[in-house]
Order: sequence, then C-alpha cells, then structure tokens
Amino acid sequence: MSSPGQFGGPSQTLRWVLGVAFLGLVILMVVAGASALANLNRMHAQERAARRIFEERTQAITGLCFSIQTYNQTAEHYLASPEPSHADVEEMEQLQGEIDSSLRDFPSDSVADELASVRSIETLFVQQKALFDEMLAWPMETRRVRAVETIHREVDPIYNDILVWSKRLRTANDRSMRAADQATLEQFSQIQTNLTWSLVLALGSGLILVLASMLYILRLERQIQVRYAELARSRGELEMLSARLVEAQETERRNISRELHDEVGQTLGALLVDFGRLSAALSSAPAELREQVDHMKSVAERSVHSVRNLALLLRPSMLDDLGLVAALEWQGRETSRNSGTEVEVRAEGVPENLPDEYNVTIYRLVQEALNNAARHSGARNARVNVTGSGGRIVVEVSDDGRGFDPRRSRGVGILGMEERVRRLHGRLTIDSQPGRGATVRAELPLEAAH
Amino acid sequence: MRRLRVLLADDHNLIRAGLRLVISQEPDFQVVGEANNGRQAVEMARELKPDVVVMDIGMPDLNGIEACRQVLDDVPDTHVVMLSMHSDEGYVLRALKAGARAYLLKDSAEADLALAIRAAAGGKSFFSPAVAKLLLDDYIRKLERTGAEDSYELLTPREREILQLVAEGKSSKDIANMLSLSVYTVETHRANILQKLNLKSVAELILYAVRKGIIS
Repeated sequence: MSSPGQFGGPSQTLRWVLGVAFLGLVILMVVAGASALANLNRMHAQERAARRIFEERTQAITGLCFSIQTYNQTAEHYLASPEPSHADVEEMEQLQGEIDSSLRDFPSDSVADELASVRSIETLFVQQKALFDEMLAWPMETRRVRAVETIHREVDPIYNDILVWSKRLRTANDRSMRAADQATLEQFSQIQTNLTWSLVLALGSGLILVLASMLYILRLERQIQVRYAELARSRGELEMLSARLVEAQETERRNISRELHDEVGQTLGALLVDFGRLSAALSSAPAELREQVDHMKSVAERSVHSVRNLALLLRPSMLDDLGLVAALEWQGRETSRNSGTEVEVRAEGVPENLPDEYNVTIYRLVQEALNNAARHSGARNARVNVTGSGGRIVVEVSDDGRGFDPRRSRGVGILGMEERVRRLHGRLTIDSQPGRGATVRAELPLEAAH
Repeated sequence: MRRLRVLLADDHNLIRAGLRLVISQEPDFQVVGEANNGRQAVEMARELKPDVVVMDIGMPDLNGIEACRQVLDDVPDTHVVMLSMHSDEGYVLRALKAGARAYLLKDSAEADLALAIRAAAGGKSFFSPAVAKLLLDDYIRKLERTGAEDSYELLTPREREILQLVAEGKSSKDIANMLSLSVYTVETHRANILQKLNLKSVAELILYAVRKGIIS
C-alpha cells in the first residue's frame, strides 16, 4: 500500500513543470507576436522613407532638366531675336538661380554614382553657360548671324551630354529605389521566417505540453483507480474478516458450550447422582459425615449450575432443542427474571426450519437488544416482535427505557449486530432518542438462505 | 408381582448409569432397555412397549420432545418422564404438548426419579419442585409487573375442581364418573375454563395448574 506522500511528490513536481511550461509558451507567443508587429512597423517606415527620397530625387532631376532646357530655349530666343527682350534676361537669371540651387541642394545622402552624375551635369552646364556668356558678349549683328548656328554646333552636344547624365542619374535613382524595395522584401521574408519558426516552436511545445498534460491526467486516473481498487479490496477484506470473526466466534462458542455441557456438565451431573445415593446410603452414619457429604453435594450443585449457565450463555441449547421462537421466549423470560424489565415476545410466520445462521443471528440480536434495554437503559417494558412474511424476516426489539443517540454511541454490541445482519444481506436500523426509548429493527431477506 | 418396565433414553452414559442405579434400588422397577439417542428410543419403545420411558430432552439425532411425541403416537399406553436441565416454561410447555406428564430436573433426578416414574405410570402429573416454583414465580412476577388480574378468581368452585382433575390427567369420562355429571357437562366446563383463563390446550392448562400450585 502506498502512502499519499509517495504519490504526491512526483505529481507535484510535474504539476509545477507543466505550469511553468504553459507560462513559457504564452510568453513565447506574446514576444514573437510583438516583435513581428514592431518589425512590420519598422519596415513600413523604411519603405516610406525610401519612396520619399526616390520621389524627391526624381522631382529634383526632372526640375533640373526642365530648367536647363528652358534656360537653353530662353537663351536661344534671346540671342536669335532681332529685338532682344529684357524679360528673357531676367528669366535666364532666375533659371540660372534655380539650376544652381537644384545642383547645390541635390539630396546629399545619394550614392557616389549619383553625386558624380550631378557634378558632371554641373560642369557641363558651366561649359554651356560659358558659351552662352561668350555669345551674349557678341554684337547684335554677329549674334543674329551666328548664334543659332553656334548653338546647334557647340551648345547642343553639351546639352545632349547633360541629358545623357541626367538619364544616368535617373537610372541610378531607380536602382536605389529597387535596392530599397529589395531590402524591404528581404526584411519581410526574414520576419516571415521568424514568424514561421515561432509558430512551429509554439505549436511544437504546445503539442508537447498537451501530451505531457494528457500523460499526467492518465497517470492521475490510474493512481485513482489503483487507490480505489485498493480501498475496495481492503474494505472487502475487512468485511470478510469481520464476517469470519463472527463465524469463528459462533463456532468456537458452540464447541466450548458443547464441551462444557457434554463433558463437564454430564460428569458433574453423574457426580450429583452419586452424591445423592451416597447421602441416602449414609442415613444411619454419624451426622458429621452426612453433613460433609451434603456439603460436597451442594458444591457440586453450584458447579453444575455455573457450568450450565456458562454453556447457555455461549450457545443457548434451546435453539437446538426447541427452535428459534421458544429460544426467544426463553430469553425474554430470562431477562424478566433477572432484571426489572418485563419482556413480551411475539412471533408470527417464522419458518420452522430456518438455517442455523438465521437462528443464531436473530437470537443474538434479540439477546443483545434485551441486554441493552435491561442493563443500560433501565426499561420497564420491552417488546420483541419477530415476523416472517414475503420472503423476509423482520425482527424488532423496542423498549421504553432512557434511549440514546444512535449516531454517537455505537458500542461493540451494536457493531456486532450490524455485522451479523450484514452477513445475511439484511438491514439494521436503530431508532432512538435520549428519553424516548429505543427500537432496534433488522430486516433479513430469506432468498439468500436457499 | 408385576414390575414397572422402564426404558432409559439419555445420550450420556454416566447419567444413564446413575439413573439405572437409582432405579435398581426400587424392587418393583425394572430397566428393560437403554437408548442413547431419540431415534433409538422410539424404536426400542415400539419393540419393548415399556410402562414408562425416562427421556432426556436434549439428545442428538432426534431430540427428546420429538421422540416423546413419536413414542406416544406409536405406543399410546406408555408414559413419558421428561428429563431436563431446564426449568423454563418453554421446555415444560413443549414437553407437555408432546404428551409427557412428568417433568424432572436432572439436578434432582436422583431424589425424585422414583416418585416421577410412579406418578407417570399411574397417569398422573409430576413436576420437580424447582420447576413448579419457577413457573409460579414467573406467573406472580408477571401479574405484579403488568398489574393484570388473576383470572383464577373468575372460576367457579366447580370449575376449579374440574381444573384440578384435568390437570392431574383425568379424562372427561373419569371426571364425569367421579363428580356424577354427564360427559357433555364436563366438556362444557373444560371449554369454559380454557376460555376464562385464556388458554389454548390441555398442556397449557396443566402448566397453569402447576404455576398456581394446584398440582405439583
């Protein structure tokens, strides 16, 4: 048999382990989810920043190209015009400023490639501007004759170069953008991988936890089953033991009683007869001798009586000689004789040939109940009712004594009654309250007897 | 001289030997057989037809009460002296119901046996003094405790007379002859007596008579 401690130790540890594991699982899932969210947010910001830079640069390049083109057209218009407009000069100066600021303010976080392109454009524009400045210095006549031709010959190639560089710049910008997109994509797939792993980890550990919990539950169930089986077995053993005890007690009592009655009792009885004859034969002997014999005879008589009472107590021979009802009536009279309790015995429908164990059970029950009534509760009257009907026997012993609380005082006598009744699959009820007398009632089914 | 033929039935040799010795001291008694259980007693009684069977009440195989009933069924002329250790009325009443008219305690067997055998052989009742005393004590105690009325007071002098004769073992015809009455009248008296005393049988009537000390 195992003590609760032996069961409790490992179980408690396992319970702790399971609890901690569940907590770990929850923390893992929360951390994984939070980090995934943070990463996504960061990625989003990065992507937005990259797009903004891309848009800024695109705008800068477009603006630059447009300004240069406009500048060139304005310059050509001014140079080729027969009546040069001062507005053109002002516009050129304004465009000049815009171009300078565009080149100067080109986002400085660009890659070297782009910056080189910007510097090249700047150089080319300076060259172009130098040419224009030179042409502007020409006299009107010269300008009208040569300007357009000079522009086409010298400025246009430079402008074309500028266009080529600006195209490169655009390409570089696109590349940066694509690189940023690529980085974002990689980060996203990294997050995806992380999330997948977290999920796998959570699912895996969750599965393990579920399995461990199931094992734990199964083990607990098994332990409970084992314990229940043990309990049932030990209860069965206890019942069997007490049944055997009652049986052994009864057998032993009967044996001793028979021994006392058959051997000791009969020998003493025969001795009594002999003493009687001796006493008669000594009628003419001295008085002293006769007194001695009479004394011996009275001693033998006392012995006979005590042996007989002892034998009767152990096994009432009435049960064997006269049957159950007569034995109960005898017990009732015996109680009436020896105590202040007047006993009335009524029997109805009691089968003649009840098995001995029923006789003994009913007899002992009545004996015990009457004994309680007479000795402990000071009853003036007691009534014994034995009724046989409908395949069962009901034994009822009630008295008008002091009574008791059956829930609190359960003596050995009552336990013995319960045991005997239970052996025959019967039911014992004790109805009593302090000051209200007591009724002991036993119901014994008879089917089990056959 | 015709001697009284006695059959002894007791499962204990020592007791039987003692009883035999007591009987052998009476010159007009003769032990014709000894049985050591009830069944044997019945068989021997059938065969030997003794005047009196001295029967132990508690015997193996067939107890004394049942054996007594069978003996009296088979050999109606015989009489049974019941021998018992018990003075309780449960035994006495059953012995009377079985037909025994003498009831002897083993304690006093040696002193009263001859008296009992002689009474039984003459068709009379005999009870050990201790038995009579116990029955009377029980009766009086019950009357005192329950406060019941002694129904004996209800009987007329004639009924008391007939009660005694019935208890002594006389038949209705004998009583009718003795008292110069018709058998029918005696029967009516008997019925009245049983009703007044709330008794059911002659056995109970005898027990009652012993209790009251009307017979011994």
